[in-house]
Amino acid sequence: MHRADGLAEEAGAVTVTAAAPVVTAGAEAGAGLEAGAGAGRGRLRFWMVLALGAVTLLDVVFFVARGWSDTPAVQAWRTVCLAITMQAMPFLLLGTALSGAINAFVPARVFTRMLPKRPALAVPVAGIAGVVLPGCECASVPVANSLIGRGVTPAAAFAFLLSAPAVNPVVLTATAIAFPGDPAMVLARLLASLAASAVMGWLWLWLGREEWLRPAVRHSGHQEGHSRWDEFRRGFQYDFLHAGGFLVVGAMAAATFNVAVPRSVLDTFSGSTWLSVLFLAGLAVLLAVCSEADAFVAASLTGFSPLARLTFIVVGPMVDLKLIALQAGTFGRPFAVRFSAATMVVAVLCSVLIGGFLL
Amino acid sequence: MKRHLQVLLLVLSGIGLLHACLFSDLYLRYVKEQMRPMLIASGVVLVLLGVASAALDRRGHGGGSHHGHDHGHGQDGHDHDHGNGHGNGHDGHDHSGVPRVAWLLFLPALSLLVYAPPALGAYTASREAPKAVARQSDFDPLPATSPLPITLSDFTRRVQQDRELAIKGREVRMTGFVTPAKGGGWDLTRIIISCCAADAQSVKVRVHGGPALPANTWVAVTGTWHPQGALGTRSAVAALDARTVSKVEQPVNAYTDDLPLVPSRNP
Repeated sequence: MHRADGLAEEAGAVTVTAAAPVVTAGAEAGAGLEAGAGAGRGRLRFWMVLALGAVTLLDVVFFVARGWSDTPAVQAWRTVCLAITMQAMPFLLLGTALSGAINAFVPARVFTRMLPKRPALAVPVAGIAGVVLPGCECASVPVANSLIGRGVTPAAAFAFLLSAPAVNPVVLTATAIAFPGDPAMVLARLLASLAASAVMGWLWLWLGREEWLRPAVRHSGHQEGHSRWDEFRRGFQYDFLHAGGFLVVGAMAAATFNVAVPRSVLDTFSGSTWLSVLFLAGLAVLLAVCSEADAFVAASLTGFSPLARLTFIVVGPMVDLKLIALQAGTFGRPFAVRFSAATMVVAVLCSVLIGGFLL
Repeated sequence: MKRHLQVLLLVLSGIGLLHACLFSDLYLRYVKEQMRPMLIASGVVLVLLGVASAALDRRGHGGGSHHGHDHGHGQDGHDHDHGNGHGNGHDGHDHSGVPRVAWLLFLPALSLLVYAPPALGAYTASREAPKAVARQSDFDPLPATSPLPITLSDFTRRVQQDRELAIKGREVRMTGFVTPAKGGGWDLTRIIISCCAADAQSVKVRVHGGPALPANTWVAVTGTWHPQGALGTRSAVAALDARTVSKVEQPVNAYTDDLPLVPSRNP
């Protein structure tokens, strides 16, 4: 057991060091823009980088294949990491395609006409509009970003971002299946998620500052003289590669916790009501289970009170490791840190209040 | 990230997904069967996106200037001007400047193509408390076949919840893999996922009197309930007195507690 734990931590350490330079890479992205001066030199540099990359990769693969990768802990880590990435991939593609389409095809006036003029009213409307995006949380980040680019007030876009993964029909159906004969759980999830997203939207109106947000540079909409399809394709490709990279970062972090912390530790916390609520909220952040699956996980945590389990499924789609990574990549790190922390508090409070009444 | 590399990355990711879902059953190690159509569609979209990017940019290259990079750069400047023209204050960011974090996408793509990790097994199962079986109040009479093929969850439910004690004295047959237990011996185990391998849970049945086997060996076990606790109540332990233990192929649907799809070789 001890040996295995050591290995799991080692795997964790490896990930963290691998991920650390990557998170900063977003900020340095601008530097990548300066292309080679001459095409010949650029071409040469490209092939050199490619060759170097190939050699390094092969080395890594062989090192990995020979050495520690055959230990069960590392294998489990790789399996979970790949599983999270694969699971999220279709939804990420859906979200980035939608975001590209909104940017290229939908004029900004559509949103200004659809949403109430007053931001305070637009927030709950946008939260309820989250019902229409059938998918998990990975899809909602790029969509929210493109909404902001199309002139939707950030507060409304954030309400949409938070509610969409939790209140859409697919997720609610999954919740009903996971908790058979317990419709109160579905209702509580719906209400608590809507409430938390609206509160976060209003909180942004009250306290939020524009400078925390990285400007939504790419979503400047359709430009005269460009083909809309071409804009769509480029936006789609950019968003996918960008968000995909951060998805891998998040998957690595979540897999590290998944493997390093055995589920059997949970039982020690199930005794106290308040402690268990906080504990499951934290667990939802660390496990980063997709919102379509989290109800099944919650249903399996039988040692915990229904209130704690409700907190798990309300917090999970709003804050988790892969979401924080995605948000940091999309909106910038200053935003992601503040927003995730505030959302965590608001989501726990909403689920305790609403769960206290309904469950 | 250069355009060529973006194309390579998109196409590799797409091929990786298609390789895992369309041309093999690799994906079943990571996600549910129901994900297959969506993953195949994703693979196709990624390949198409890569091909479109390669083809359209080449066309732009031919019609534009002599140097592909210069052309791309010229477009950067173009977008840049537009952004500033609209007073948005953008710093010349366009789609060719994909941040370096995108490099990480090579990892899952190559992992799927070259070195796919195995399905979760004994390591994960041994570190998790067994999944609680669902409550059931009405039990149908058991079929008369003997040995009776049954899933681990069904067996556990019959042992702990069936007031009729229909399982008593019946010889059953279950399939799963070996998870070494702490105090010696082993558990017959199935890992169940509800969405992907990140939410894995396990069901276990202790096997008494079987041979010692290495972890992760897939076996079919026949035997009768090992009396421990009062049958039909929660005090009963899901355990089996093994009569025969035979190795079987790992079933295709390894992450379910269904009866195996692959017929075992030594029935």
